[in-house]
Amino acid sequence: MKGFITKIFILAGFFALLIQPVFANSQVLTEVKVIHASTGPVHVDPGLKPFASELESVFKYTSYRLLKDEQMNLEFNREGRVNLPGGRTLIVVPSDVKGKRIGYQINIRKNNHSIFQTRVLLKNNDSITIGGPRYQNGTLLFNISGSMH
Amino acid sequence: MEKTCTRYRPEQISRFVDHELAKGIQDEVARHLVSCPDCRGLVDRYTALDRGFNHLAEHEILKFDPDQVKQRLGSALEDSRPPGIRVLKFFNKNIYLKLASIAAILIISLIPFRGALFDPSGPSAIVKSVDSDVASIMIFETQKEQHTIIWFSET
Repeated sequence: MKGFITKIFILAGFFALLIQPVFANSQVLTEVKVIHASTGPVHVDPGLKPFASELESVFKYTSYRLLKDEQMNLEFNREGRVNLPGGRTLIVVPSDVKGKRIGYQINIRKNNHSIFQTRVLLKNNDSITIGGPRYQNGTLLFNISGSMH
Repeated sequence: MEKTCTRYRPEQISRFVDHELAKGIQDEVARHLVSCPDCRGLVDRYTALDRGFNHLAEHEILKFDPDQVKQRLGSALEDSRPPGIRVLKFFNKNIYLKLASIAAILIISLIPFRGALFDPSGPSAIVKSVDSDVASIMIFETQKEQHTIIWFSET
């Protein structure tokens, strides 16, 4: 029985080592989608259908057009930049991991001046949407998602 | 004998006999019984039935010998068990113990990783801080997927 328990402990340790790489990955796949939402003629870009159906409960927009989709493999505390319409720049920095959430610092600059910054804990494989800036008879939405494997 | 009074149904009378009606209705039925021989007859029948049943049950309980039943059940089980299983009785216990040890050790080793294995609940993003020069900021989430949205107005 004693030998059996020893074997079980060894197996448990091996199992724990198999799970460890979930935390060991130091790169975060970050995707930024820049979307133009408006109340114009009904239109949803194919890749935005789930996004638009989720947002229709809170927004009155009828048109969702994808202006830009950028994927970046970012190391922790390294910034990723996305140029936005209207002289704006979005800067995302993955900062840390808490549980199964990725810490992000997000900064929006306009004409080299910070107009908005936030720190969020984003669920792994999920996204946050930041919106509001007016653009061409509509509004800009920035959908930021992060995933670690 | 068929009940002719329609004020109370037989089920209600039965519940009256068992004291299962609400206090007010129980009193109402009691008052009605004074003037209704039909319902009173039904109450008498149910009461007699109740008494008979209780008597029978008591009689059967007195005849019941738990030790004798246990002994009979034990020997019946022993007889019905195939010989191989009887021999493995000791090992069976041991297997359960082994399985329990495996389960316990796996659970203990998984505790530090529970955050990595199971999706956290709550909104898609927890907003720790917001700093801005803009006029107004709103934070909200959608109902279905709990998708977090930060809304700011530049003007």
